[in-house]
Amino acid sequence: MRGFAERDGVAVAELDEDERAVVARIVADVGLLLGGEAFGMQSEPVRPERDEADEIFAHLAGLEDSLAEPNDPAILRLLPNAAPTDREVASEFRRLTEGDLRDTKVRRLRTMWEQLSEDGPEWEVERQDAMATAAALTDIRLVLASRLSLNTDEDADRLHTEIQLAEHALDTDAEDDLMVDPERVWLGMLYQALTWLQESLVTFVVNSEESDSNE
Amino acid sequence: MDSQEQLEPEGNVVTRLDDAWVTIVWNDPVNLMSYVTHVFQSYFGFTRQAAEARMHEVHEHGKSVVSSGGREKMEVDVQAMHGYGLWATMQRSGQ
Repeated sequence: MRGFAERDGVAVAELDEDERAVVARIVADVGLLLGGEAFGMQSEPVRPERDEADEIFAHLAGLEDSLAEPNDPAILRLLPNAAPTDREVASEFRRLTEGDLRDTKVRRLRTMWEQLSEDGPEWEVERQDAMATAAALTDIRLVLASRLSLNTDEDADRLHTEIQLAEHALDTDAEDDLMVDPERVWLGMLYQALTWLQESLVTFVVNSEESDSNE
Repeated sequence: MDSQEQLEPEGNVVTRLDDAWVTIVWNDPVNLMSYVTHVFQSYFGFTRQAAEARMHEVHEHGKSVVSSGGREKMEVDVQAMHGYGLWATMQRSGQ
């Protein structure tokens, strides 16, 4: 995976076939969670057959099951309560805005899914679409963070440490001694990869605006 | 209602008498500092400095008041923040 970098005014990242398939899958899952229709029923992205990818898909399948839960905390994070101390204001807000917010979020995810389903390792994002893509990446990370129970900055730091320990255990073939749930490690690594991609995309946006204001 | 906020030199929102409501953005472990700063700049029209000051306030003190005005205007602002995936709420000012 290579983060977004500017090329001829466009942000370009590189994801290999497995990475694209995994990211496209979580994008589609979050779209379903938000009540959108399944993305690309006619043209599922080709799933690689390698064992490693199978393992990731197995973990993602578990994620998909849990996405269907009612009163899902991840949905609440995507569509939060706008007035926790005032029920009348909160329900009025939800009535007025929830449909639009769901539509906006699903539309952005669908665009991202379509881009990831194109052939070739490059993922190109036009400058005028960059913040919409960054927002879609946020929504996906919010869902993963909810599944990973990341509620505080300390939780996020702890996840980082857990993943480092797991990577070290894998490197030294001490996998059996691993005290961390492997599903948590996979989802955590996906979360970190998406964080890194988003950071590189925001850097692209900030740099393009700075170069504009310097012209 | 005027949608532009009046900013003090330090970037604090001046709450006018007719601004009965405020929009608050809360800290969360997911949103990136650079992203939040850019959202504040592009949506509210803050200078980079003012946007960074509010972002730091969110990150270090848990929350920041990012706009004030009538209830309908705050609904628009909160919806926009939710669109970006930020955790925003609205309440009557002074609560």
